[in-house]
Parts: sequence; C-alpha cells; structure tokens
Amino acid sequence: MPIIETQGLSYTYSPGTPYKKDAIKGISIKIEKGDFVGIIGHTGSGKSTLVQHLNGLLRPTSGKVLLNGRDIWENPKKIREVRFKVGLVFQYPEHQLFEETAYKDIAFGPSNMGLDGDEIDKRVRTAARFVGLKDELLEKSPFELSGGEKRRVAIAGVMAMQPEVLILDEPTAGLDPKGRDMILGQIAEYQKENGATVILVSHSMEDIARTTKKVLVMNKGSVAMFDETQIVFSRAEELQSIGLSVPAVTRIFMQLRGMGYNVGDNAYTVKQAVERLLPLLKREVGNND
Amino acid sequence: MIDITLGQYFPGNSFLHRMDPRVKMVLIFLYIFSVFIPQNWVGLGLAVAFLVFVIILSRLPVKLIFKSIKPIIPLVLITSALNIFYISDGTTLFKWGFIQITTKGITTASFIAIRIICLIAGSSLLTYTTSPTTLTDALERLLSPLKVVKLNVHELAMMMTIALRFIPTLIEETDKIMSAQKARGADLESGGLMQRIRALIPIIVPLFVSSFRRAFDLATAMECRCYRGGERRTRMKQMKMRVPDYISIVVVLAFAAGLLGLNFIFKSVL
Repeated sequence: MPIIETQGLSYTYSPGTPYKKDAIKGISIKIEKGDFVGIIGHTGSGKSTLVQHLNGLLRPTSGKVLLNGRDIWENPKKIREVRFKVGLVFQYPEHQLFEETAYKDIAFGPSNMGLDGDEIDKRVRTAARFVGLKDELLEKSPFELSGGEKRRVAIAGVMAMQPEVLILDEPTAGLDPKGRDMILGQIAEYQKENGATVILVSHSMEDIARTTKKVLVMNKGSVAMFDETQIVFSRAEELQSIGLSVPAVTRIFMQLRGMGYNVGDNAYTVKQAVERLLPLLKREVGNND
Repeated sequence: MIDITLGQYFPGNSFLHRMDPRVKMVLIFLYIFSVFIPQNWVGLGLAVAFLVFVIILSRLPVKLIFKSIKPIIPLVLITSALNIFYISDGTTLFKWGFIQITTKGITTASFIAIRIICLIAGSSLLTYTTSPTTLTDALERLLSPLKVVKLNVHELAMMMTIALRFIPTLIEETDKIMSAQKARGADLESGGLMQRIRALIPIIVPLFVSSFRRAFDLATAMECRCYRGGERRTRMKQMKMRVPDYISIVVVLAFAAGLLGLNFIFKSVL
C-alpha cells in the first residue's frame, strides 16, 4: 500500500472571482514508503499547491488524498494529526522562526504534539544533530544566526516531529553552494537513517538528480511525467519542450553524442559522468600511444 | 483565509470604473453627505434609489455589496437600539419600567440604520471600482492645493500608496506564516481567549520581522533609483475629465439639490 496517494486531486484558487485560477488539475499519484521523490516544474506549475494538499493545509476542490490508505479529510477535526505525520518545510522556512532561542523554536512542533519534556528534549537534540547545529547555537536567539543556520533550525523544527513523510519545498533556495550541499546531504542522511519518505520540491535539476530516486514533473497544474530519476532525465528533449532544463552534465552528454562520440546513456550526476567518461578517455589515450 | 474588503478592487469596465477617480471620489463624498439631508421618507427613498441605480451602473455582483455591509451590521443594530430606547417623544407603543418604545424612536432608528448602510455601501463602491493606487493618486491631486500650507501632499500620498500596496503582500505573508505554523501543529482554532491570544505569537513575531525587512529593502531600492518625492515628477497616467464626468457632476448635484428641496415640500418626520 502506498504511504501517500492522491486521486484526481484538483484545486481552484479564489473560485467565483475574476482572479479564479486552477492551480492543479486531476492529479493522481502514488508514493511508496521509503521513496525519495523529487518534484520539478515551472514557477506556477502547481508544485507548492500540490504539497500543501499532502498534509491537509489546503482542502481539495475535488479529489482525495489518502495517507496510509485513509482519506485525510475523513474527520476534519483530526487534521492536525495528519500534519504531524506529514511534515512540510515551507519555502524560506527561516521566516517562520519566532521563539527566544533556537532550541525552543525546534521544540515548537514536538510540544504541539503533546509529548513530555524528556521526549521533546531528545527529539530536539536528534533533529539538531541531523542538520548539524552545534549545542551552543541552540541557546542563541534564532535572529542572531546566519542565514544558513536559520534555515537549518527551521528544517530541524519539522524533523523534530519525526514525520513519516518529510516534504521540503525548495530547501536550498537562496543558499550558497556550500550551504546547499550541506542541507541536501543532511536530508539524504535523514532519509537513509530513518527510512523516511522524503519529497523534495526544487528548481535545481542538479539537486534533484543527485538526491532523488523518482521524479514527478509538473506542467501547468498536471503531471507531465512521474518515473525513476534516470528515466525522466533520459527524456531530455521532452523536458526541454515544456521549458525545463536538464542537469548541465546531461546537456554535455547530449552534445557529445551530437558530435559523434559514443558516450552511451545520458548521465545526470557528475559522479556518473566520471564513471562513464574516464574509461573512454583512457581508451583514447591508449590509442594515441 | 483572511477576507477583507478594504482595497478590494474588483476589476471591470463599467461606467463607474472608467470615471475620472477625482470626480468619482468627490461625488461619492458628496453622496455620503447628502444621505444626511433628508428629513422625510420620500427623500430617504430617493437616496436609496439613487444608490441602487449607481450599483447597477457599476455592474458589480450584488453579493459583493452585501459583503461590505455585513461587518457593520452590529454597529447598525447597536445605534438603532440606542435610539429606540433613548428617544421618548412621540406616541408610546410599549412601556416596561424605564424602557419605553415610541413611534418617533423607531422612525429615528430606521433613518439612522438606512443612512449608515447607504454610507458604507456608497463608499465601498469607490474602493470596489477604483484600484488603490489610482485612489491615492486621485487623493494626491485633490489635496495638492494644501501645498500652500506647507503640507507635503506627495509624501503623504506616497506613504498611503505604499501602505495600500503592501496590504495584499502582508495578507499573503500572514497566510504563509500561518500555514507554516499549522504545518508544525499550531492550533489556532480552539481554546479559550488567552490560549488563542498566545497562539498568535508564532504568527505575529515573524510577521513583524518580515515587515521590517521589507520596509528596509524598499527604502534601499527607492534610494538606489534616486527617488525624490514631489517637485517635477511627471506621471505615466494622466487624469482627464471627459463628458461623462461632467454629466455625473450635474446629476449628483441635482440629486443633492432635490433632497434639499424635498425637505421643504414634505414635513419632517424626525
């Protein structure tokens, strides 16, 4: 049984006004337990709207969201419990920090769950360790921290709820390459260690290529593709036709093939490219001798 | 979702939408004052009829007008109630202890209720058919004679424009922060008064922080573009009065004069 399933999910913003907009149309997807899914798509393609349905922040205009096989809107009064099971980290999550110390801010989610003090403390420290926050930072005001540190505190705030599904909406937006690598690495580690299901919304093809197992491509509110990462990026022409790019490495491979080199399948991470190209280069060097 | 009617421009292309905003603003003010002229039912009926006529002209959904009136219903009820109980002239209909209801009390109360409703519906017509920026622009022009008394009208209008411009942004921001805190299990809907007030802290603190950040960003951006208010700035959109505007002025003036005239013809009921 998939952990999350949507059936014909549609949502319309401001219905009945001149500003009416169909954000997503008839989305049916299945996400299995332990999956690491990436969601890509243009600005306004409905990515954020879709993920806000998965934890019940938005109520679908039509269609259903099933969590562990049960409609999350079966009992609207219990929607908070869904939010503890499906943790959502918003875009620029550092804008939501409000407590006096980073520690208290991370503890906000767990204490809303009604856990006891020891359990909260344990969870806060585990989450802080996952995102690589040192203990002395926890006692500081979140407003004194650097941008990257604030972001990590905010992500830890959701991780501390230990959700079954962790959704991150552009967690690396506006970070420098080092901060980006760090956060992605920590998310991957969290996924591996807890066997959690992770959904990563991103604009960066490189980020998606490097971390996810499956990719959901959104276009104008509908699902354009939903498949293994490798398969999705092998359909580079289709991606480009809906105005999305492919990872830079993939572009290089496509170009090389166009120039007549037999480089084999498309690579979509630098690591793969190295594995693919190195033997070829060695052969070439060998031939020249 | 937070729903407020202030600055809720409803795009359209009706007669009212196309009017010169300065004229529209002045005429609606004039209408609001005229609502207080009638002392008799005929005049009040005319004022209501005129409002209905203008609403039809604006081609706005009637639902929208009701929505603007809804928040002031408690105010209308309280003022009416006060009048009913306070006025002791006229024929007594009901008396119980110190509570006394008279015909005159009821008349006055209904006059006041109808006047308030006309006033709100009339002014909401202005905000529904004029975008906030056009509105402040018109205000700036209308107030520009005050430069004589050293009032910096441009800066005032600029502040208003910025304030209005940021209302939707702040609503969106509030919505986003609320969603983010709800995603962390914040409970905003249940509990007693104190609990609810406390539940607002996680929303208000980030909202303040981001408002200040936005204000500083905007100030920097304006300075980078060498913004200097006031003198010698030209405008992209020039306002021009056209024939329909002149006709509207004549019609509204005639309407106000008519109300005054009716006061002499019919006996005052107040």
